[in-house]
Amino acid sequence: MKKSRKLIAILALLVIAVAGVAFSPAPKKITVKGSDTMVILSQNWAEVFMKSHPDIIIQVTGGGSGTGISALINGATDICNASRPMKKSEIEKLKERYNTMGVEIPCAKDGITVYLNKANAVSELSIQQLSDIFSGKVTNWKQVGGSDTPIKLYGRENSSGTYVFFQEEVVKGDYAPSCQSLPGTAAVVNAVMKDANAIGYGGAAYAEGIKICKVKKDANSPAYEANAENIKKGLYPISRYLYMYTRNRPTGETKEFIDWILSADGQKMVTEVGYFPVR
Amino acid sequence: MKKRGRINLVLVMLICVSTFMPGAEIFAQGKNDSIKEEVTTLRDKVTGVEERLAAAENSLEKMTKIKLSGYIQAQWQYFGNPAVYPNNYFSLRRVRLKIEYKPVEGVAFVLSPDFSPSGFVLKDAYVQLNDPWLKTFSLWAGQFNRPDYEVEYSSSKREVPERSMVVRALYPGERAIGAKLEVAPPTVPLKFQLAVFNGNDHLVIKDINGNDINPKNKDFDNYKDLMGRLTYNFKLGNFGGLDIGVNGYYGWMKSNSTTVLNSDYTLYKNVSVGQSVNRHWVGGEMQLYMDILGGMSIKAEYMMGINAYPGAVGSFSVQDPFHTTLVNDTLMMTNMITNTNQINPTIRRNFMGGYVYLIKNIGKRNQFAFRWDFYDPNTKLNGNQIGVVKYDNGSSDIKTTTTIDGSNPVIVLNETTKTVTTNTLKSGTSDLSYNTFTFAWNYFFTDNLRIQLAYEMPIAEKVGVDASGNSNLVKQYTVNDKTITNNYNKGFSQNVVTIRLQAKF
Repeated sequence: MKKSRKLIAILALLVIAVAGVAFSPAPKKITVKGSDTMVILSQNWAEVFMKSHPDIIIQVTGGGSGTGISALINGATDICNASRPMKKSEIEKLKERYNTMGVEIPCAKDGITVYLNKANAVSELSIQQLSDIFSGKVTNWKQVGGSDTPIKLYGRENSSGTYVFFQEEVVKGDYAPSCQSLPGTAAVVNAVMKDANAIGYGGAAYAEGIKICKVKKDANSPAYEANAENIKKGLYPISRYLYMYTRNRPTGETKEFIDWILSADGQKMVTEVGYFPVR
Repeated sequence: MKKRGRINLVLVMLICVSTFMPGAEIFAQGKNDSIKEEVTTLRDKVTGVEERLAAAENSLEKMTKIKLSGYIQAQWQYFGNPAVYPNNYFSLRRVRLKIEYKPVEGVAFVLSPDFSPSGFVLKDAYVQLNDPWLKTFSLWAGQFNRPDYEVEYSSSKREVPERSMVVRALYPGERAIGAKLEVAPPTVPLKFQLAVFNGNDHLVIKDINGNDINPKNKDFDNYKDLMGRLTYNFKLGNFGGLDIGVNGYYGWMKSNSTTVLNSDYTLYKNVSVGQSVNRHWVGGEMQLYMDILGGMSIKAEYMMGINAYPGAVGSFSVQDPFHTTLVNDTLMMTNMITNTNQINPTIRRNFMGGYVYLIKNIGKRNQFAFRWDFYDPNTKLNGNQIGVVKYDNGSSDIKTTTTIDGSNPVIVLNETTKTVTTNTLKSGTSDLSYNTFTFAWNYFFTDNLRIQLAYEMPIAEKVGVDASGNSNLVKQYTVNDKTITNNYNKGFSQNVVTIRLQAKF
């Protein structure tokens, strides 16, 4: 009798436990997709935020700013990371489908860094020289003060916000056909690291194992390195905002996450990763 | 013995080592050679793969220059109008394919056919040249959408099944053949479009016998039409945004008639065939986007001006059978030929029309839409004046000349009244104004698949009655041997229910 009571009690507990699990609220999920430049930063944000909010799951993926914006438009992501502002045509698509203009949240600043191999004699270039190099007008390091060796170009794929930003702000035209497109900034850094004649570009956070090229606004200007001070003072000529986009004004857990990113704790991590805070 | 044995063992070992050492060297060298050979083979293979990959990339790059998109709209509709038979059916409203080819930066070719069962129609076919320097100007040539908000808003995105009545009346088929300059600076939220068109695109223009003289959309006069649209976008912070714009149409069409009437069916002026008649109108538009518990928008447009209907002139003869007449006890036989000179006057109608949309997104998948659209094709006549004799076109309508000839003896009847005037043209259904209320619910299964439920309620203005109390305007139709009378005094249902499934790629 006692045994059966015990069994009933255990079974009842089990039922309550199962029911409790079944009816306990499912963890809320936030999806973040977009800029490869922002993947590391975004993943770090997510990891730290999830530690203090165990009921929220944040899934971060890259793919490029264009891919992220497309995902935002077709409803596949809650937050889009973009290393460039949304284009007019992309805002039009949001208007057509969701009747909103999208919400733009600048969350960090970045100086697009020009990567050179450590063996390269060149250490500074002007915007015009970079334009000539990446458009294919200058093809030998000798033409910009280096050794007599051909220049090897590495860049991002056209879905990348960095690709678009660098094209609009530096190249100001088409990239040279010889420019090899690589999937991700880490791949660009890796390629430049291995190739003595290589040049590439990408986010400051990835610049390890390579030489950072100083950049001049024009031939007569002083050259500046992409660092916090120069970017804050507006001296480094290729700096940009990094954005988060949502379809509507963020609410609930998405708002909580974004508010935290813009807080002192979130912005501290921006500096730790190698970018520059907006607040 | 032990010592000897040890020596022997050492000797054997030495012999073995001396015997096998060269073999091991040979073996190692052989292995190296085979590895080298293998590496060479692999290198060749990698080179081969690289070459194939380069060729594939080259082909793939060409393919990336071609973009294919399209959509299918399959629907079931129910019609409240008793004159429509069958009153419900399934149909394919649109079956579109859009092929976009960008051979080089800044150049695009666009081709968009529609494969609906009602007949193959070429929708878009144009070349677009974009300026690669300022990225501001683009030049279009071919057949493309006329510059107007609702026209340019794709049917695959529209929240209700069809465009508003005024837009359908002014821009039938939406597209026109011509050229367009578009100015859209990338850093300024402004867009200006200036287009020149043949102007007759997709209009139904009939000759005196009722034949369409504009079936192939080939221009039939020297007059070209100008159309412009200017829009500006304001950002309203986190609240949303406001787009405003103006548009105008400045066109001419040749009159196919010698008489031009005003909106109230009075004579405007007599012209010769080929002289131009005006088609001028202006419009204003706004789209307000608000982030209130999700996306919401109000979109509106208003247009007013003069639209011309080119009329027709012509003549035809009808030979009647023999007539017999008894004159002074003599039976006379005659041939009777009726020569008819018919003039269908050109009419320049003052019109106005517009629409207001209210669209609310509910979550990611649901969307509610309401539209009120209004169109008065003739602002100079109200309902009570439509179909009334006063608004007949008097004597300038159809003139019938009757002559009689034949073998002797010939008797000419009513020699002095050869001309018979009949009045057949009077204001009618084409002068009626409409208010249409449309309610729609869209559910998006995915971004590519949606279902739409829509209810459209067109309400025609009511006409007056004559002295006997009969409606001034009725239309009769025969449906399954039954006569259906649509009485425009009492009103009748023209409501339409649409359930549409749209797949887009």
